Amino acid sequence: MIEMIAYLLAGVFYGLIIGIIPSAGASTGLIALFGFISYFAGEPYMGVIFLMAVVAASTTGDSFTAILLGIPGANSAAATMVDGFPLAQRGRAGYAISAAVTTSTVNGILWGCLVFLLLPWYTNLIYILGVPELWAFTVLALATVGFLSNRYWFRTILAIAFGIFVGMVGVNPDNNAARFGAQYWFFLEDGIQIMHVAAGLFAVPELTRGLFLKHSTADGEIRDGELWAGIKASWENRWLALRGGFIGAFIGLLPGLGGQMADWMAYGQAVASNPKEKFGNGNIKGVIGPEGANNAQKATSMITTVIFGIPGAKFAAILMSLFMYLGIELGTPDIGDNKELFTSMTFGFLGATVVVALICMFLIKPISKLAAVPYKYYFPVLLGLIIFTSMQYTGGWEDLAMLAVFSCVGFAMRHFMFSRPAMLIGYILAEKVEGLTLQITGLYTVETLITRPIFMGLLVCIIGILIYSIMRKGRIDYA
Amino acid sequence: MLKILTTLAVLLGFSTTAVADYTMIVPQKPGGGTSQWAQIVATEMEKYLDEKIILKHIRGARDIPGFNKFHNDLRFDDKTLMVSNGGNGVAFLQEKVDYNYADYDSIGLMNLNIITAVQANHNPYGGKPTSFSGGGGKVPEGIAMTLLKCGDGLTTSEYVACFKRTVNWIKGMKGNERRLAFKRAELDGTRENPASFKKHVQPVIDKGQAQLWFHHGILQPDGSHADDPNYPGIQMETLFYAANKTKPNSDLYDAYKLVKSFRDGLQKAIWVNKGNPNRAKLIAALEKVSTNPESIKKIQKKVGKYEWMLGDAGNAQVDTLMKLVTPKALKTLVEFNTDAFGLKSIYKPEMVAAK
Repeated sequence: MIEMIAYLLAGVFYGLIIGIIPSAGASTGLIALFGFISYFAGEPYMGVIFLMAVVAASTTGDSFTAILLGIPGANSAAATMVDGFPLAQRGRAGYAISAAVTTSTVNGILWGCLVFLLLPWYTNLIYILGVPELWAFTVLALATVGFLSNRYWFRTILAIAFGIFVGMVGVNPDNNAARFGAQYWFFLEDGIQIMHVAAGLFAVPELTRGLFLKHSTADGEIRDGELWAGIKASWENRWLALRGGFIGAFIGLLPGLGGQMADWMAYGQAVASNPKEKFGNGNIKGVIGPEGANNAQKATSMITTVIFGIPGAKFAAILMSLFMYLGIELGTPDIGDNKELFTSMTFGFLGATVVVALICMFLIKPISKLAAVPYKYYFPVLLGLIIFTSMQYTGGWEDLAMLAVFSCVGFAMRHFMFSRPAMLIGYILAEKVEGLTLQITGLYTVETLITRPIFMGLLVCIIGILIYSIMRKGRIDYA
Repeated sequence: MLKILTTLAVLLGFSTTAVADYTMIVPQKPGGGTSQWAQIVATEMEKYLDEKIILKHIRGARDIPGFNKFHNDLRFDDKTLMVSNGGNGVAFLQEKVDYNYADYDSIGLMNLNIITAVQANHNPYGGKPTSFSGGGGKVPEGIAMTLLKCGDGLTTSEYVACFKRTVNWIKGMKGNERRLAFKRAELDGTRENPASFKKHVQPVIDKGQAQLWFHHGILQPDGSHADDPNYPGIQMETLFYAANKTKPNSDLYDAYKLVKSFRDGLQKAIWVNKGNPNRAKLIAALEKVSTNPESIKKIQKKVGKYEWMLGDAGNAQVDTLMKLVTPKALKTLVEFNTDAFGLKSIYKPEMVAAK
């Protein structure tokens, strides 16, 4: 038990720091761990606790930079920033942070309990679904990412297609022959590695962006009484907070979505439900709405990730790969029997949610000072970690070359507003899409497929999404 | 707690290589089956060596690059060990690889077996084709079921035609998908190593929803295969004889013996370079591991109940395997791989020359 608590605290510490660093956040923090994850090989469940604690703590840490510096840790707190930063500029940083942490914690515990305590029961679903349903569910995930995640749907489709292509580089499962360049360069035969793709797409561009971000530090002074006022504001706006949590939980359940979409929808509902109030100038409801969503979304996005191996969000895609390094494959038939996994996930997520809230409340003043440390001091350390992580595949120049290539891809995609999460999800799901397509064509015929109601229902959903996307106008831009 | 401190030390930039006395090369990423096995064995061996063994994962397609790197560079370091698996054995037969078992000394290896089952309501010898998860690692199962289904005395091309008629070889399935598909009765047949079989397939059999089919047997020093005491009476050769009243005798059977032996006979093995001065010490440590009930329990949980072959017995196993290599068997294996399974494989004449 002491060891579990020690790993939990280590995860909280790391997650909080990574959350506080501008432009870092859960995904970058997780990517940096690829280089160290093998240290948990002998005790994989301690690794699970550590990783879940990183996820939960970084979400809360994000709010500090969003409110105090006016820059979100990794976009997940962008909606919080809109009203949180003006509050801090008015000297009410403690009030905003306290309300954000309280709301985020309550929703994290509520949805965390509903998800993680009941996760073993949800895993029974996998026996109801066969190969056709899993194939359709995977295609549905790609369709929701492609057509619903942002308004640049054509570019998003291209990003998914490119992600799938990158995911298919390596050996053809049909005949064991190398393909898509792997026949000329043996390095590619085992596929392009996630640490290169994720680090290049996200970590390097975001860390570099942090260097050029101009921000005016708000009055970071935490005044007495502000903490209690923030808690009180959360209680007074509890229904708003719970609605935010519900929105976050719903978005998290949809495979492949998540991230800032949930935050902005929750912010939108806060604005819509208070038509007479002004937002954007320091309205505490603009902090409470989105903060309700972010932890809830992280919890529910683990459902599809654990049961079907379909990542519910960007961080979940990276987390899933890290779990593989621990010898834990998600979306497997025996996952429901793995009590230790569920215990570790529950302990890691819920424990970290509570611990980080207590730390934030009691150590709010020093943490606020930490957020004010100039980014130039964090940058070389983080970049060093990312390069070290990328070198863990072969340790040769090829690793650096792949990191450079995908960093260029990441910069270009950000500049031209192609969805990088969509590409990552395409990359992660490529193997599944190809494998399931081979399986469905080998095991089923059209005649047998049309007798499966869940499969047909999912097909209708996919077609519905396509039609809805073509008809829809005036979409919100989440890019 | 020590692990946390180690992790933090690494995070702060300190290297742990300084405290590592031995390096064990694992040809796959952490978390893979061989990697988990190596982690258990290394931890247990450390207790008797009084020295540390650090795992170094060198990944790559079909676990080949790590073994190649050991062969080309790393084996000349007396403190470096290599862990290989059955996939390396099969690749050695039919792919272009640098490594060569003749250049190493065995520390120890486990001689394993693979067991298959079919759905209770499926007749593998008649009716609809048997749907079975295919892929490079299942070649011995594919050939065994072809021999069992098609009988004796056919040419290789006739066996290929019979395979296509009687087996629905499903590609693109990973291990967990195969297990799930079998539990849901989407697949007619499945295969597992003994430990996985006990965990995933035996419960289905116990419920009356599946039945045992065949296993490959355990390689003996003379190159024959003995029945597996864990699953007696269903060795492929035994079932073949019962159905055909004759022993299997065809080019395809020779290819089958070759490929199953190289896969299962080298399923989990530890090597050092020939003449490594630390070999005796490492064998002694592994011997103590293999006789410690607690250590063995941990290893058997991963792979099943099989004996270790230590030191020179491991070298003798390689000699036995090489006796099975004939031009005809190799060519037949490549032909069947290509024509029946659609797998890319090459004939390596140097294999025969190296005997």
